[in-house]
Amino acid sequence: MNKSTNVVLLIDDEPKIRRFLRAGFELHGFSVLEAENAADGLKAATFNAPDLIILDLDLPDLHGTEVLEGLRSWSNVPVIILSVVSDEDEKVRLLQSGADDYVVKPFGMAELLARAEAALRRYFKTATENPIVMAGPLSVDLVGRTVSLNKNQIRLTRKEYRLLHILATHVGLVVTHDQLLREIWSGNQRDNIQYLRILVRKLRQKIETDPNHPRLLVTESGVGYRLQARLENGLEA
Amino acid sequence: MSRPTKAASLNSHLSITPKPAKASAKPAGDKSDISRLDEEQPPHRFPKRNVQHLLMSLMCVGLVTAALLSLDRKLALNLIPIAYLIPVIVAATQWGIWPATLASVAGTGAADFFFLPPLYTFEVDDPQEAVDLMLFLVVALVSSNLASRLRRETEALRQREKEIQQLYEFSRRLAACFSVSDLISAIQNYLSRALGQQAAFFVAMADGHFDPPKSGSVPKVVQETVASMIPTIGVPAHTITDEPTQNVWLIRAVCSETTVHGLVAVNIGSGRRDSVDSKTRRVEAILEEVSLTLQRLDIEKAMEDARLHLQAQLLREAFHGTLSHELRSPLAAIRGSASVLDSMPVIRGDDRIHSLVEAISDEVAELDGFIQNLLSATRVTANGVSPRLEWADPRDIVNAAIRRRERRLSAHKVEIEFAEELPLVSVDSGLIEESFGQLLENAAKYSPSGSTISVSARAERGRVVLSVSDQGVGITPDEQQQLGRRSFRSQRHQATIPGSGLGFWIASTFVRANGGSIGMSSRGHGLGATASIVLPSDQDLG
Repeated sequence: MNKSTNVVLLIDDEPKIRRFLRAGFELHGFSVLEAENAADGLKAATFNAPDLIILDLDLPDLHGTEVLEGLRSWSNVPVIILSVVSDEDEKVRLLQSGADDYVVKPFGMAELLARAEAALRRYFKTATENPIVMAGPLSVDLVGRTVSLNKNQIRLTRKEYRLLHILATHVGLVVTHDQLLREIWSGNQRDNIQYLRILVRKLRQKIETDPNHPRLLVTESGVGYRLQARLENGLEA
Repeated sequence: MSRPTKAASLNSHLSITPKPAKASAKPAGDKSDISRLDEEQPPHRFPKRNVQHLLMSLMCVGLVTAALLSLDRKLALNLIPIAYLIPVIVAATQWGIWPATLASVAGTGAADFFFLPPLYTFEVDDPQEAVDLMLFLVVALVSSNLASRLRRETEALRQREKEIQQLYEFSRRLAACFSVSDLISAIQNYLSRALGQQAAFFVAMADGHFDPPKSGSVPKVVQETVASMIPTIGVPAHTITDEPTQNVWLIRAVCSETTVHGLVAVNIGSGRRDSVDSKTRRVEAILEEVSLTLQRLDIEKAMEDARLHLQAQLLREAFHGTLSHELRSPLAAIRGSASVLDSMPVIRGDDRIHSLVEAISDEVAELDGFIQNLLSATRVTANGVSPRLEWADPRDIVNAAIRRRERRLSAHKVEIEFAEELPLVSVDSGLIEESFGQLLENAAKYSPSGSTISVSARAERGRVVLSVSDQGVGITPDEQQQLGRRSFRSQRHQATIPGSGLGFWIASTFVRANGGSIGMSSRGHGLGATASIVLPSDQDLG
C-alpha cells in the first residue's frame, strides 16, 4: 500500500489454489511468490522478505501452526490463514499464536483481499502515524479520542470507547474475545463474555444505523468481533 | 434324671410289664413281631423301608442277646448295659430315631427277660436291678436321640456337599458358555441331572411371547400360564400346582440385566412343604448363577459391538477426511477462480459472462452446503455432538445464519423482527447458527419465489424462541410426526424439490445437544409453516 508493490508469499501445497490466488493477487497489483511446502515457505519468508503471507494449514511436511510459530519467532509479517475446518477453537488458537486473520475454504477472492488489505494497513500504519481510522461512516481519532458518525461527533462511555479503540486499531481484522476482555477489563473479568456481549450491544446502539443488523461491528461467532473497514452491500463476489 | 428314676424304682417292685408291653418289646428274633408292629405304627408314617429298618434293629438286639447267652452268665450280667447300647447306636446312626427307640426298648426287655432273675419273666426281684434297667433305658433313649440327630445332620451336610459340588460343576459349565443357546442347554441338562426333575425351557421370542419347548411333557396349566406372560424385565415368579398329579411347578425368568432370555419351568414334585421350599431354593440358586453368566455374555456382546463400532468410526473418520479435504479442495479452487474471474473488468463488463460466473459461484455454494450437511451428519452419528457453550446474543446467531444463506434466500423477501429485550443464551453459537440456517433453507425450498420468509427472535418465560415462517406448501400432521427422523423426506416433494432429508434431523440434533428443542407447526396444507428453535435462557441481562 505504501510501497509501489506489495509482495505476497503463498504457502500452499495445492497448485489449483495457488493458481487462482496468484491470478487474484496479481490482478490487484501484488507481486506473488509461491511455496509448496513449509520448508520452502520458511526459506522464502526469510530471503525474500514478503509483505504478506497466505498460509495453508494442511502442508505435507509441517502443520501450518508450526510454520506460524516458526515465523513469529523472528517476524511480524502479516499472516492470513487458509483453513478448511470451520473449527472455532482452532481459529482462536491460531489468532492467539500470531495469525492476523483467517478465511475458511471455500472463500471468494474479495474476502481474502479485504483481509489482506486490512492486515497490511495495520502492519504499515505505524509508519504513517495517521491517527484517524475510517470505518464506513465512522471515524475514530485514536489520538484525540473522539468518535464521529457521518461527521457528527458521538459520545461513548469509557468502556465503549476502549472497545471501539481496540477494534479500530485492528480495523478489518478479527479480534478475539480473549483479547478484548483482557484489554478492556484488564484481567479481572476475563471469563465473563456476557459483559462483552452487552457492551457490544450498547456500542452498536450508538454506531450502527440498525443495531439489530450490524454492518460495522460484526460478530465472528465463536471467535470474536470485527470492525468492517467499509460498508459492504450484499455478499462479496 | 432323678424324678423318672424314682418313679421307675417304685414301679419296679410290682412289675415293669406295662411298659415293655406298650412298646411292644418282644424277645429279639421273634418273627411274629412284624404284624404287631405294622398294626401299631401308622402305615402312612412308616412306609415299607421304615418297617425294614425296624426289623433290622430288632435283629441286632436279637444278635446281641444270642451273643450274651453264649457267654458265662456272670460275665454276661456285667456286659448287659454296654452290649445292649450297641444295637441302639447302630440303629440310630443307620436308620434313625424310631428303629433306635425300638432297639432301646427291646434291649431293656431282653435284658430283663433273659438275664435278670426271675429269669424268663419281665419281672425284677432286686430293686437295684430295676433301677439299673430303667437307667439303661433312659441312657439308651437319650443316646439314640443324639445319635440319630447326628446322623440327620451328617446326611444334610452330605446332601449340601453334593448340591454344592453339582452347583460348582454347573458354574464351571457356565463359564464355558459362549452363547445364550449353550447356556440354555446347560440349564436343561443340570436341572434334569442334578435335581432329577422335569424341566422345560421357554425361549423368549422377539415378538413378545415365550416359545414352548418342542419336546417334553409340560402340563397344560403351566403352558397356559406361560402363554399369558410377556417377556419383559421383572417377569414375576410363579408357583403352580398341577391338579391331577399334585406336582408343584416353579416358573422362573432367566434374564440378564437388560434382556429376558426365557422362562424355566421345573417340576419339583409333590411332597412336604419344607422339601418343596428347599428345592425351590436350589432352583433359584442355579438361576442366580445363570443370570451372572448372562451378564458376562452381555458384556462380551457389548465388547464385540464396541469393536464393530470402532471400525465404523474409523471408516467414518476416513469418510470425513475425504469429504472435507478431497471434495472441498477442488470446490475451493473453483469458487476462488470464479471469484477472481468475477473481479476482472472484462467480465464485469459483459453481462452474459458475468451471469455465467455467478452461476458457477452459486452452484459451488450449493455443493459446499451439501458437503457441510454430510459433514454435520457424520459428526452427529460419530460421537454425538459436544457443544462448546458460550454466552451469545441471539441476534448475532440469526444474523449470521441469514448472512451465510444470503444467496439461497435471494429469491425471497426476508423480514426480520427482534424483540426489544432479548436475553443472552448459553449455547454453541456455531451449532445453533447451522440449525437455524437449515430452517431458513427449508423455508426457502418449500415456499414459492417472491414470497416472504419472516424471521423472529423473542423472549418467552425464560426461553428464547427463534422462528422462521414461510408462505409455502405447509406440512401435514402425518409429515410432522416423521420430521425428526433422519433422511425423512415427504413423498409429496421427492420428485420436485431436491434434498437429502438430513437438514431437519441435523438441526434437531444440534439444538437438542444445546439443551433446546425444535418444533414445526403449520396451519395446514398450502398455508405455510413455522419452524422454531427454543433455547433455555435463565439469564436476563439483555
